[in-house]
Amino acid sequence: MAGSMHLSRLRNWFLASPPIEFAISNLKELLVGALRQGPIPQHVAFVMDGNRRFARSHGIETVEGHNLGFEALARILEVCYKSGVKVVTIYAFSIENFKRSKFEVDALMDMARVKLSQMAQHGDLLDRYGAKVRVLGRLDLLKPDVLAAVNKAVESTSRNGDCVLNICFPYTSRDEITTAIRSTVEDYSTPLQANGVPRTPFSESHIRHNIRAQTQGSKPLDSQSDSGSTSAESSQEDDSILRNDRSNRVYESGSSFSSSATLHLDKNGSHGDKPAFMSPETISRQTLNDHMLTKGTPPLDLLVRTSAVERLSDFMLWQCQENTEIVFLDVLWPEFDLWHFLPVLLGWQRRISKSRKNPDAEGNFAGDNAESSEEDLDSLVLRQSKLKAI
Amino acid sequence: MVTQEERNILRAEIRSRGNNLSAEDRETLIKPYLPDPADLPQTRSRASTANSSSHSRRQKARRTPIRTFLKSQIHHLTYALTHIIFGIIVRLLQAYHAVVDRVFAVVYHHHRTPELIRKDVRGLKRLPQHLSVILTLRTEDDALAVLMDEVAELTAWSACAGISQLSIYEKTGALKSCIPALHQIITTKLASYYGSPSQQPSLQLFAPHHAVYGSTSDSKSEVPPLTLLLLSATDGRETMVDLTKTLAEMSQNGKLSPEDITPELVDAELSEITSQPLQPEGRSDRVPANIINPEPDLLLIFGPYLKLDGYPPWQIRLTEMYCTGDRSHGVGGYGEAVEYQGFMRGLWHYAGAQMRFGR
Repeated sequence: MAGSMHLSRLRNWFLASPPIEFAISNLKELLVGALRQGPIPQHVAFVMDGNRRFARSHGIETVEGHNLGFEALARILEVCYKSGVKVVTIYAFSIENFKRSKFEVDALMDMARVKLSQMAQHGDLLDRYGAKVRVLGRLDLLKPDVLAAVNKAVESTSRNGDCVLNICFPYTSRDEITTAIRSTVEDYSTPLQANGVPRTPFSESHIRHNIRAQTQGSKPLDSQSDSGSTSAESSQEDDSILRNDRSNRVYESGSSFSSSATLHLDKNGSHGDKPAFMSPETISRQTLNDHMLTKGTPPLDLLVRTSAVERLSDFMLWQCQENTEIVFLDVLWPEFDLWHFLPVLLGWQRRISKSRKNPDAEGNFAGDNAESSEEDLDSLVLRQSKLKAI
Repeated sequence: MVTQEERNILRAEIRSRGNNLSAEDRETLIKPYLPDPADLPQTRSRASTANSSSHSRRQKARRTPIRTFLKSQIHHLTYALTHIIFGIIVRLLQAYHAVVDRVFAVVYHHHRTPELIRKDVRGLKRLPQHLSVILTLRTEDDALAVLMDEVAELTAWSACAGISQLSIYEKTGALKSCIPALHQIITTKLASYYGSPSQQPSLQLFAPHHAVYGSTSDSKSEVPPLTLLLLSATDGRETMVDLTKTLAEMSQNGKLSPEDITPELVDAELSEITSQPLQPEGRSDRVPANIINPEPDLLLIFGPYLKLDGYPPWQIRLTEMYCTGDRSHGVGGYGEAVEYQGFMRGLWHYAGAQMRFGR
């Protein structure tokens, strides 16, 4: 025991000596620079697990373990951003963690408050380097002083560009998914307009009018008296096609609605006593994606969990898509460093560059997932129908 | 990258809860670690600084073209070198694991005897109640036949090991379209393990939105009954989208307020799909309500690396995952074979035990 203690102290002294420190830092620089030359995951998530176990095994206080964990986080963030990762998501605090001892929860909250308020003090520095901090989770569960620090940090970095640090603060994935479903439902159950836009693209009165015109055989005169449409029948058809087009677009996206709906409201304002909604059939995976807390970030490429616990523990369930690689490492978070992360990154790069060379092989995925997943589904359906044919 | 001395300053700072250093102190401390502003995209630095300084910076950037060129060349070289070394290491590890696997495959072979399989799991501290396996459909012509055989093998092993709930995830859902054929194949496989039908476990096969296929647990065999659930990509996110559609429709019709949507409600709805199959028509005897636990205890991935491939996300919150790893690469070529020792390795890993040579 004493021998190993001496040895580790000797090793620490050796590693801390200036020439070695210099060499190691240069080596790290070099490796990170080298990593940049290959494909780099755009979005990496970390579950920072093992702080408490580290503290227990090293005979230090739990809080101290969390502090060391924060140092490890700073180290790994440096590696990530320098090698070109755009978004890093970390699991800082689970809603379940509120069940831990009050002392520990308070210490963690305190730490978050201090760090976030320090961050806000360096607003201009963060501005220059373009890092954006976002806090994901149930902010309503936080204490007011912590919440204030959160809001200040998020606000002061919100205008920055490129890099994003997502801190999942009181977060669970099930809660996130439920919230996404709820807000989608809320979106879809707010009436489009007070007097509403009719669901059907063809207006009933219009058709009735046309029939009447046909039977009477005096189209031109009648249709001129019609409020919005032009004289010839062909152009009326055009008009309704156009309208059809428009209202389809209304269903597709809520944002385009406001501009297009006002255009033909004057024609259709007369009917639609019932409130009209966006059609629920237009809800897709993308709709839910856009209601997740991680909206607007590239798809998750890599999820790393330390301390050899091999489950997700309610983290990023929705975001772990078809091609997210999940890595469980047998290292406690405070010890986590470039040396543990490097093989993971290299393995990822290796697979990506292989699959780019040979796109038919398994494990193929390009960086742009948004379209390819749709194509995937199409090919899936095709394959399935082929199978049925067999 | 950070020296010991600076680390000590930082730790003292943390201990005093951030009252030691002022904002300026901290900035001077981190200044050496920030990248040179000249490396940043032009637009940003131009926006943030005055004209004169950006001019001088441009001069500075012009002064070291050779150095930057050399630097990028060195980085390219290091990238190539690290990947060559890494590739060699990976190959060596693969070769090592392939050899170990062969040894395990010889030492741990089931010989189609339930007793041997039972013996292999006897020493384990815990067994998953509900095992889930991710399989991939290959691209060859007889892919479906191979897949169905794999499912049959897995079912037999699970039955022998005493796991009563098994779910198979296969992305395309090809299995769901041939449930009767699959049932036939599995029964044949079970017969080759257990012998006569009276000693076989009774088998129930179902998929979400499909009726249960196979005998209900009324047989008198001493082996516990087995339930097999077939999942595909549509049971995951698509189902959640469908749920959202239904909820939105209900909300539009005023039957539900958005505040009613809680994790419990979503959980109940989603769990029901996988745990309660449709009742077979024209049958009066009720199938027990919860015939399968919606959340698997262990998820086995037969593949080179751990990816979920569209597995239903809601249910795997606390599921342990185990990936058999990139082992038979170069031997099998494509995909990963479903092998008994891989299955065993997963179970042993779940129990927190190490596999050894020699039973």
